[in-house]
Amino acid sequence: MSALTKSLHPEEKYKAGKLGGQMTKVGLGIAVIFLGVSLVLTIAGSADPNSGHASKWARFFHAYVIGWSYIFSICVAMLWLVILHHLVRGRWATAVRRIAEAMSCAFPVVFVAGLGFVIPLLAGYEDLYYWAHHDAHDSVLNHHLHHKLGWLSPGFFAARFVIYGVIFSALASYFAKKSRLQDETGDPKISETLRIASAPAMILFSVVTCMVAFDVLMSIAPKWFSTIYGVNFWGSACIGGFAALALLVLAIQRTGRLTRSIGPDHYHDMGKWMFAFTFFWAYTAFSQFMLQWYGNMPEETHWYKYRLFGDWQWVSIAMLVGFWAFPFVFLLSRWTKRIVPSLVFFSVWQLVFHWLDLYWNVMPSYDWLEVGQGGVMVNAGPLMGNIAYHHVGFSPVDITVWLGLVGVLIFGIGRQLKGNLIPIKDPTLGLSLSHEVM
Amino acid sequence: MANEHDQPEPVVVTNGDGELYGILAEYDTPGELVAAARKVRDAGYTDFDCFTPFPVHGIDEAMGIKRTILPLLVFGGGFAGLCGGILLQWWANAYNWPWNISGKPTWSIPANVPIAFETTILLSVFTAFFGMWILNKLPQVWHPFFRLDRFARVTDDAFLLGIEAKDQRFDLEKTTALLKDAGALDVERCFYESDPARKHMPKWISAMIVSSTAFALIPFAIAAKARNSHSDQPHIHIFPDMDFQPKFKADTASDIFADGRANRGEIANTVARGALDADELFYKGKENGDWTQGFPKNIEVTLDLAKRGQGRYNIYCAPCHGYDGKGVGPIVRRLKDGGGDWAVRNLVAPPWEPGGHVVRMPNGQLFNTISNGYATMSGYASQIPPRDRWAIVLYVRALERAANALQGDVPRADLRDMPAPQQPTIAPAGAAGSGSGSGSASGVTP
Repeated sequence: MSALTKSLHPEEKYKAGKLGGQMTKVGLGIAVIFLGVSLVLTIAGSADPNSGHASKWARFFHAYVIGWSYIFSICVAMLWLVILHHLVRGRWATAVRRIAEAMSCAFPVVFVAGLGFVIPLLAGYEDLYYWAHHDAHDSVLNHHLHHKLGWLSPGFFAARFVIYGVIFSALASYFAKKSRLQDETGDPKISETLRIASAPAMILFSVVTCMVAFDVLMSIAPKWFSTIYGVNFWGSACIGGFAALALLVLAIQRTGRLTRSIGPDHYHDMGKWMFAFTFFWAYTAFSQFMLQWYGNMPEETHWYKYRLFGDWQWVSIAMLVGFWAFPFVFLLSRWTKRIVPSLVFFSVWQLVFHWLDLYWNVMPSYDWLEVGQGGVMVNAGPLMGNIAYHHVGFSPVDITVWLGLVGVLIFGIGRQLKGNLIPIKDPTLGLSLSHEVM
Repeated sequence: MANEHDQPEPVVVTNGDGELYGILAEYDTPGELVAAARKVRDAGYTDFDCFTPFPVHGIDEAMGIKRTILPLLVFGGGFAGLCGGILLQWWANAYNWPWNISGKPTWSIPANVPIAFETTILLSVFTAFFGMWILNKLPQVWHPFFRLDRFARVTDDAFLLGIEAKDQRFDLEKTTALLKDAGALDVERCFYESDPARKHMPKWISAMIVSSTAFALIPFAIAAKARNSHSDQPHIHIFPDMDFQPKFKADTASDIFADGRANRGEIANTVARGALDADELFYKGKENGDWTQGFPKNIEVTLDLAKRGQGRYNIYCAPCHGYDGKGVGPIVRRLKDGGGDWAVRNLVAPPWEPGGHVVRMPNGQLFNTISNGYATMSGYASQIPPRDRWAIVLYVRALERAANALQGDVPRADLRDMPAPQQPTIAPAGAAGSGSGSGSASGVTP
């Protein structure tokens, strides 16, 4: 007997209880262990003279930017889900929205973690962003870059970073706090208020997300241009975000909570989003590639040249097959999204490949080239050079820094998992509980 | 159930309207309808259907309807579209009519992706749309239940369940009782005319078909008449304002103006385009009637100008002449790789060795060649402004100098990037292997 709405099952366990506290401890443990290992590996190691970096910390900080973008992207995707849900008066996601809100509210912790690379930059560290290197000001060597150095300067970058942090934290906390207020008052007008707020919030969200992608990731290769870069980052972020949401929901259900409220139909929809963004990411990634490949202008194609020839071409092929073709074909079926082991497999798979995507975006630009000019060697940054010099050059620090920052994210989410894990008085909750994918 | 032969043939019930088609029960809510459908299914009926104003969740399962195979068909359609799109492009571009466009490969997967994507979507959507119609046996213009007034409310507020009399389990009394037990507000019988011989199309529909077919033939009849007869009447102008536009064409007569001409002469205090380009040196490369050896006075020979020339050269000249100016650009290379003879196509390799004809050419003549072309090469005056043409002349001089350079001329630091010291190339011409890599590493060349 199907019904249009359902009410919360009287025996449902929807209180977080000690769950959040346990998560913070686990997250903190992971963060301390892996970031500690990364620091030890970095301090014990030595600078790689072939990489064009004078500092042995260069690898660590490149890995840190990747890891930070990774945890940031998961929060971004969940904030997007929350805003979108209000914007379109969504129904299915009401049951998982509180968990998504908790994930998006990890923004303050994420941005504090981001200071790990922003403060060294402010202190004059030159080997992470080439635009912060003193040779970047060479106007003959860096004719195009020269004009961007007003925007790409450490002080302005740090100031923007703080502003981004404030905007994202405020947006996430606004939607989460109002939603928790509704748990107490049951006032249906709160849903209306949030719906009205969601439209400008969506515009602000889109602009700032693109700007973070431009500043933090794209400026790693500061002489390269791509206007679709932010959209492509957001697509990749949503793959990781929905995969992480599915895993967190399933993990919470294993503790006996929310087992009667969230079922295969909700798994199906989270899987559908992951599937949709798998295609969307490929679509925007190809849009970015296609125009530059067809235009064939050196100032654009150099970025792809490193990635499509030499060692990196195998990573690019792995991305095409692993991040798109394989999950796309298998997630087409409804059953791969509804059966829990299969959904877990694809979520973990896409979370790993989402990291590889960011790795692929950043690490090929790790190798900088020194060129002779007027008898002096100057650093030309990641633009120049022969592809024969470019190697994947995998380092264990790449993985340990990533896992350490994932620990930071788990810590940040754990702090927010408190009180009700489901918006108990949301007017659309009944529709969400009876949600059925036809 | 339908195949059990020991069942007696259903009794044919008739009344004045014809044979009994089936019975139709109305329920108050979607929930009751779903429950009734489940009961009917459990009783073993197969020839029944539910009618609702909107999709009702769970009714497929309650009626015992299997999941549709449409998704598999759509997947097949999409896959066929993908393969067909790629095959079409390969056949047209690389096999049946290969055509050299700027030396680009005739067959390259990235260029095929957008069209393959579109054909994939197209055939997926067609399969989904038409597959849905076919699987649902649509379009269905008439159904016996249409005879019942109640059925009209199915798009508004009625939740109906109809069982056909041809069902093996059908028994008028028992089936009616079953539906009533399930909570039906009312159960109605539906009779229809089952004898095909008595199903007549209404006469007005036949008349409409005949007359509209006759009307549709009129344009063809007019065209046929026009092709087979002569007429001294003027043309029929369907769009007269397009055929006779209120304007004058150049060099025609007009009685509006006193001089009887449609042309108006130069208006006072205006200058025609190009009329001010009187500077022979700057615009034509000529000095006292002869090609200049130097540069015009307003062209300052600087490194920046040479770099400007390099950029323009790489855009406009390099596709044929090559990045190093040795005449083996991508187009020429492609032509030779394809077994073509470039001399046949009038592409001349510029003799660049010391004393070759380009080296002997004065600057002015080079400028003139860029502006107006030479042999197969067409002029570039309309694409490249004069200052940039002079910049290219300067860069060609730089290439000429570099082509005759010795190893000692190359800065030490740049030797690292060179594959072998014997090859005095200026810049690596294209990336390894394919045309998709970048060209020269512009900007680093000192």
